[in-house]
Amino acid sequence: MIQPTSSLDELAKRVGGEWVHLRDARELAVRTRRELRKALEGLDSEDTSIIVSGSLARDEYTASSDIDWTLLIDGSADPKHYDLFGQVDTVMSGFAAKPAGREGTFEAMVFSHDLVHEIGGENDTNRNLTRRLLLLLESQVVGREDAYRRVVRSVLDRYLLEDRGLWRGSGHRVPRFLQNDFARYWRTMAVDFAYKLRKRSGKGWAIRNIKLRMSRKLIYVSGLLACYCCHLDYTPHQRRRLFNSTDGQKEIVEHMEAIFRMTPLEIVANVLLRYPHLDNAARKILDSYDEFVGTLADEGKRAHLENLIEDKTDSDEIYQRVRQLSHVFREGLIDFFFDPNSDLDTLTKNYGVF
Amino acid sequence: MRPVGFSTGALAYADFRRGLAMCCNKPVQAIELSALRQNELIPLLEALDTLDLARFTHIAIHAPSQFDPEWEAALGARLRDETWRGWPIVLHPDALYDLSLWREMGSAVCIENMDKRKPIGRSARELESVFKHLPDAKFCFDIGHARQFDPTMTEAYLILRDFGHRLSQVHVSEVNTRSKHDPLSYASIIAFQEVAHLIPSDVPLILETPVSEDEMEMEIAKVQESLPLDRIMVAW
Repeated sequence: MIQPTSSLDELAKRVGGEWVHLRDARELAVRTRRELRKALEGLDSEDTSIIVSGSLARDEYTASSDIDWTLLIDGSADPKHYDLFGQVDTVMSGFAAKPAGREGTFEAMVFSHDLVHEIGGENDTNRNLTRRLLLLLESQVVGREDAYRRVVRSVLDRYLLEDRGLWRGSGHRVPRFLQNDFARYWRTMAVDFAYKLRKRSGKGWAIRNIKLRMSRKLIYVSGLLACYCCHLDYTPHQRRRLFNSTDGQKEIVEHMEAIFRMTPLEIVANVLLRYPHLDNAARKILDSYDEFVGTLADEGKRAHLENLIEDKTDSDEIYQRVRQLSHVFREGLIDFFFDPNSDLDTLTKNYGVF
Repeated sequence: MRPVGFSTGALAYADFRRGLAMCCNKPVQAIELSALRQNELIPLLEALDTLDLARFTHIAIHAPSQFDPEWEAALGARLRDETWRGWPIVLHPDALYDLSLWREMGSAVCIENMDKRKPIGRSARELESVFKHLPDAKFCFDIGHARQFDPTMTEAYLILRDFGHRLSQVHVSEVNTRSKHDPLSYASIIAFQEVAHLIPSDVPLILETPVSEDEMEMEIAKVQESLPLDRIMVAW
């Protein structure tokens, strides 16, 4: 079993899903984070948190995965932070199968001020956007979480409390400011796929393409669902009470914080559990995702996809199989998000499309 | 009118007599007699009957914020002897070792929420585990600590939501990044206003802001602006 209280586990039981690759990846992620926590013990403080992102944070970690990490700083500037960063880097290098990405988003010191204050506008760079949204969508702390929790709460406070429509509207209570940024990030990833193709002369095309179709799409999906949960998790009576008071605002911030503490797959499973009539869609989504994670866990297949050039993909069996999985994954998501028997299709039309 | 006053320790370091004297001609109705270091407590307790405290409608004792564990039983016994006065005895939860000693003191014990450096007692969740062991204890809400722990004031709201019914007094100050108490800034004032409505009008405010005698009245005005009475919406 994945975890006694896990939504994914409950869903697996209900729909008869095995999802062994997801279970293995989760176990390895939990074990690796535990080992990291032990190795990094004593380095962080109430003002610094060591954050991991990517597959290690999503519980989709495999032996060949890299480790995306950042040192989050929320406190007074201190020249010693650089030494701390060096120590963390040394520990992380001993764990990672390969170095983090080349864009400089990870393996860096990240300061809370830009994450909290630069939402939108000229100074909200691609890197800042990525770091901020991954903090919400796929991040976990290895060690002290004081700084991390303060920053996540401050970011959510901005997205939610500055969303006039969320509090003044009378219809669906979906945080559009936040959802728009998730949509922006999803499209940024898609555009960057083309950018990297050009910049790296096609190197790594196949693996990036597959990740875009599966894991990158999953984090967007989980962000969209998290925004829907702001509406779906409350009865009409609760919504009237919470969305019309300052105390209610604090309750909503706390609730959204709890949602973002879940992994993307847990968020998806948590919503799917509410709709037994969508069990077929659940199987499509999670069976295909499980096989995708299994493919990445297979070192031979992963290395093959990493080295596969675009011209050879049409006839490549491994690539074509994963591509086919991505189509099943997409079909399941369409069945889920455009389901006419729940409020989901209305929410998707209003917030996911127009 | 809500009682307002100072902690003697904020006014005069380790000198309760001087702190008390500074309040002499000021519009204060509350006082917290502070013995933040272990060696300050016994002299304070021995002096209690000699102090002129008649003008105060609210009096509290702040016990040492840390002490030798071997001294805890003696400290508890000495403070228990003073509970007949009905004054809250403010304790830092991270300083306590044997909670059964303090449980016996029931509602005389007043637990304070902590700043971000401390290992426990900072959030609503952490306080829950403290009050589980001290079911009758009262609560001293340190609004500066709560803001330092979470500048969005969400945690302050959660703490007051969950423990407001235990509220005995409020500590007010700005707590800076190095966890030192400072006079209130503009940012603190507007942050505190977010939860002002959750603090009942009869709950005393104890200023922990280190100010000179000349600055006391101005600081009181700032505190009253930060926690205005016209916003109150609850009675726990």
